[in-house]
Amino acid sequence: MRLAIAILLGKLIAYFTRLFKIGGGSAAPGLYALKVHPELVTSLSRHIPKNVVITGTNGKTTTAKILAHFATSTGLKVIRNHTGSNLERGIASALISCFNLKGCKLNYDLGVWELDEAAFNTVAPKLKPDIIIFLNVFRDQLDRYGEIDTVVQKWCQTLKNLPAETLVLINGDDANIAKLANCFKGKVQKFGAKDFKIAGESITRAKEQENLDFEAKNIVLNGLDGSKFEITANKKSYPLNLPLPGLYHIYDALAAFAGGCLLNLPIQQLAETLKDYSPAFGRVEKFSLNPTSHRTPTSEVGYIFLIKNPAGATQVFETVAPNIKLDDRLFLALNDNLADGTDISWIWDAKFEKLTSNRHPELISGSKKMPKQVRHDMIVSGTRAHDLALRLKYAGIDPKTIILEPNLQKAFKEARIGLKGHLFILPTYTAMLELQSILAKSGLKKQYWEEGN
Amino acid sequence: MLYSINNEQLTMKLIIGYLYGDLMNIYGDSGNIIALKKRAEWRGIEVEIRNISIKDKLEKGDADIFFFGGGQDQAQELVSGDLISSGKEKIIKSEAERGVPLLAICGGYQLLGEYYQPHNGPKLLGISLFPAYTLASFDRMIGNLVIDSMFGPLVGFENHSGKTYLKKEATPLGMVKKGFGNNGISKAEGCIYKNAVGCYMHGSLLPKNPKLADWLLQKALELKYGKKIELKPLDDSLEFQAHNTAVKRFS
Repeated sequence: MRLAIAILLGKLIAYFTRLFKIGGGSAAPGLYALKVHPELVTSLSRHIPKNVVITGTNGKTTTAKILAHFATSTGLKVIRNHTGSNLERGIASALISCFNLKGCKLNYDLGVWELDEAAFNTVAPKLKPDIIIFLNVFRDQLDRYGEIDTVVQKWCQTLKNLPAETLVLINGDDANIAKLANCFKGKVQKFGAKDFKIAGESITRAKEQENLDFEAKNIVLNGLDGSKFEITANKKSYPLNLPLPGLYHIYDALAAFAGGCLLNLPIQQLAETLKDYSPAFGRVEKFSLNPTSHRTPTSEVGYIFLIKNPAGATQVFETVAPNIKLDDRLFLALNDNLADGTDISWIWDAKFEKLTSNRHPELISGSKKMPKQVRHDMIVSGTRAHDLALRLKYAGIDPKTIILEPNLQKAFKEARIGLKGHLFILPTYTAMLELQSILAKSGLKKQYWEEGN
Repeated sequence: MLYSINNEQLTMKLIIGYLYGDLMNIYGDSGNIIALKKRAEWRGIEVEIRNISIKDKLEKGDADIFFFGGGQDQAQELVSGDLISSGKEKIIKSEAERGVPLLAICGGYQLLGEYYQPHNGPKLLGISLFPAYTLASFDRMIGNLVIDSMFGPLVGFENHSGKTYLKKEATPLGMVKKGFGNNGISKAEGCIYKNAVGCYMHGSLLPKNPKLADWLLQKALELKYGKKIELKPLDDSLEFQAHNTAVKRFS
């Protein structure tokens, strides 16, 4: 009875938030339903035959989305928490939307759940996952999670109490994650990349990390179009074409592929379906800067790359910088709301210097070629726009080339005036949400809760 | 030969000693190094950054400015041990007595006091440069921090659970206007002794507080070159804009 009331309440809240367009209904329904029935996640998730849990600092949403893509393309019905709502309430909301009032399952085959680093410890045991994927651990929002050592220690404790038949997948290239192998009584398998190493925290390749169960090899990066590589698993090799730019996404695809293998999905088929994959909401997106009606093949294109912590942001800069041409502009937005992390110190650890390394010679400060008329090719916005502009100054970018406008809507308008090339948008999480809504209002994109996830 | 003497007078050089940079560099501390380096270079002063960590030897004159950042508990324990066993403790203290400027943030600041008492286990000894000690607490003091100091208002971000208590003879860096500061009760934040400054302000601190950055540079040059130095003024409009917006946003 209590469960039915909780589900009904959740469904009503979801209905009204959508009706009045207050938001996507990805957190509130679960939040209130959990107050009525705190064990809702345990009760509902046991109706789903298989559950996969994904955690880590960077790449959770992308990994979850690729894995769901693999599963649905083999005909499975997949349920997952959407749009980065990775606390218990987000999971509860997703479960509520997929169950009727009696709590009966609606024939789902697989649950793919991304969990926040801290929420993992309380929610993962409730989901009784068949597979757990640990992606990486980077410094991220120390104001919320505490230090890296603490995060890993808590994961270790949670793993110790999970049943031995759980399959655990860990990133073998991340030394902090690799430690987790000793915390679990069951089988632990590793994934990693040969030749390339992601930039970031203590990424090492010690002897014991050589035995990878899933390995990405022969990686070829194709700029903004993505990358090509092979995955070796069980002594066989599978070629993959990943339509997502950036080395860091190779780890996400690799983790998802490994998850798919452990779910006994047909591997060969998995590799081929990736070409139809469309990226996770706001992580990397491409859209036309002209309203739908005036689209021409040569239209200016906007790219959105989410930035949220030093390692992730540096990886985005490495991906974007070589592809910025003279007529293109860069739009950076830094907010310090709770979901972004209220401590913005991290921008000083992110290598904004990478954005200058490939800068057109005409735009490097002090260059003799500097045109008389100053080119504004950088737009800086968000609640902490001034801090961001300052970071860029200390990274070697002439402040005269920067347009500083804290208001995102005004800044976006400025960015488009006289734009002849592409626009690269690099926002933090809440700035990204606000920009999505600005794009929707300008008729350039759909509202995010209307997008197919 | 005359030419080279002139040249030597023209180009000044500073060595920034980054204490345990590989172990003590939590969130944004490197921004302080970037700020010192850039602000010196923009004035034509050459800068070298020297990492001084476990196993490295430290001698008098090795660094013209010291920077000491924050670290995780485990790292702090290692560093506390090394400071004393390697003799760096004595050198850092005597250099600070000589007037070498030093900036320490959070964990680094705690280790410049007499000791840090964790919840469990023995005290971690500091180098007793500051007449202060730190006790572990169960309160997490997190948020934006604004203080009044001899450098004007300073703005940063604090994130600590250790509570630092200053002894009678200690001078605080400033008084808290918004935030917790040393221990959340005394209203004092940080400590200053000669040209050594310790505090809880991440942010990073120096980019948005250029007066403090320039004071450290000026003191370092004056000590090294034995004369009064006046730093060439820079266009700090963006720095002060960022500073003022932050102060306004938090107070």
